[in-house]
Amino acid sequence: MSREALQESLSAVMDNEADELELRRVLNAFDDTQTRDTWSRYQVARAVMHKDLLIPRLDIASAVSAALAEEQTPAKVVRGPWRSIGRLAVAASVTVAVLAGVRLYNQDDIVGNQLAQQNPAQSLSAPMAKGPAVLANYSENADQATGPMANGVLQGQPGWQDQRLPGYLRQHAEQAALKGAESPLPYARAASLENR
Amino acid sequence: MRVLPLLPLLLSGWFVVPAHADEAQDWLKRLGQAEQQHSYQGTFVYERNGSFSTHSIWHLVQDGKVRERLMQLDGPAQEVIRADGRTECVTGKLAPRLGDVSAVAARQFDVQKLNDLYTVAMEGNSRVAGRPVAVISLAPRDQHRYGFELYLDRETGLPIKSLLLNDKGQLLERYQFTTLTTTPPDDSQLSPAAKCQPVAQADAGAKLGSTTQAWHSDWLPSGFEQVSSTVHRDPRTRIEVTSLLYDDGLTRFSVFIEPLQGAAVPDARVQLGPTAAVTRHLSTPQGDMMATVVGEIPMGTAERIALSMRVGKDDAQAKP
Repeated sequence: MSREALQESLSAVMDNEADELELRRVLNAFDDTQTRDTWSRYQVARAVMHKDLLIPRLDIASAVSAALAEEQTPAKVVRGPWRSIGRLAVAASVTVAVLAGVRLYNQDDIVGNQLAQQNPAQSLSAPMAKGPAVLANYSENADQATGPMANGVLQGQPGWQDQRLPGYLRQHAEQAALKGAESPLPYARAASLENR
Repeated sequence: MRVLPLLPLLLSGWFVVPAHADEAQDWLKRLGQAEQQHSYQGTFVYERNGSFSTHSIWHLVQDGKVRERLMQLDGPAQEVIRADGRTECVTGKLAPRLGDVSAVAARQFDVQKLNDLYTVAMEGNSRVAGRPVAVISLAPRDQHRYGFELYLDRETGLPIKSLLLNDKGQLLERYQFTTLTTTPPDDSQLSPAAKCQPVAQADAGAKLGSTTQAWHSDWLPSGFEQVSSTVHRDPRTRIEVTSLLYDDGLTRFSVFIEPLQGAAVPDARVQLGPTAAVTRHLSTPQGDMMATVVGEIPMGTAERIALSMRVGKDDAQAKP
């Protein structure tokens, strides 16, 4: 068999375009180190072209062959009844964890909404000062991603944000309303912050 | 000639599509002039999550000058008297704590700019406050601002209903007239009922850049321009706060920057109806600063702006 023919077959195998005959030819020739070198060179070229990650000189095939040659008899796998029970336990605990997580997550939502409903009419400054519970109110309509996050962050450190954010919200509304706005809309926004 | 009667039909078909697109533009132009051209009075409601309020408005256009009185009808009686886009005086809690609200010229309604930032489309006809309206939608061309649905009075072009919608089409706020008449209000209706505190009109440039360094943003969503920049001392904490106001023609956001003075403060995000507030910690050569962005913009945009705040006037000016 000519070298060129083999290389062509190698290339075809690598591109996943080899037919049965070519695949057989390559497998037969694979004990040859030269063929394996060619194969690994092709792999490098391919990795470069596809910008893939490649670990060079990782000859798993020969390592596996060596290991197989050394092994005398296949060790018998001991598989007692406890093993399957153990697996079952792991699966069960994962399920429980997932369910608990979902439940906790939902509870968080429910608690937030309930609190929001309990305090339907509150000024901006009052709930901010009251702490994390009512902050759920604010993130109620926000995105899922931002809502709990805002909650969490604000729950952790009530001081600075509580003092500043209401003031800044109000200042923005006033600036927008008082500084040459055409429509009454910014005024209404500002007034809605002052209400109740 | 049997073809001739068909000709007008064909021609009208030819003209219908551009006419439809132009209709939205015409309404946009009318919207831009409506407040300067028509006297009116009426009541409107404002609603965002967790808040619902009702207001009366008296709007007089006389000899090209605009005079306006706004009065809240529920809760504390708050009033605002405005003349030509400037706030003359306010009553109640709306009175600004800052002491000065620097003058900014009424923003120019720039139809071309709005078309660059929003896709304007005619949505159809409807009825608001018992009056026929034309509905136009302004869908943002990027993800850095919210969309509007405007209901314009067919007679005057006034926006008598305005909805603010996020990218998922969820309603963030509603502003809607319940009654509207085009009767010009008289003087008694335009004078304040309670003691009206005049708003000091400080010069915008006077307090800038003398002791404290100026700030600018490395990144702004397209179309937004800085319309004011002030430095003031917080009356309670005695800390110097830089505040900047940006505008794209429809939407505004503010940036507040204050030194931390050693306090450890976590970043925070709050959404209040249409208004997002993001607080971000910045490390500068002058020490740690806290940048707070507040505005009717998406949370992600506010966050990106907060992270882009830099000391110095502008890159071009900062370099010698």
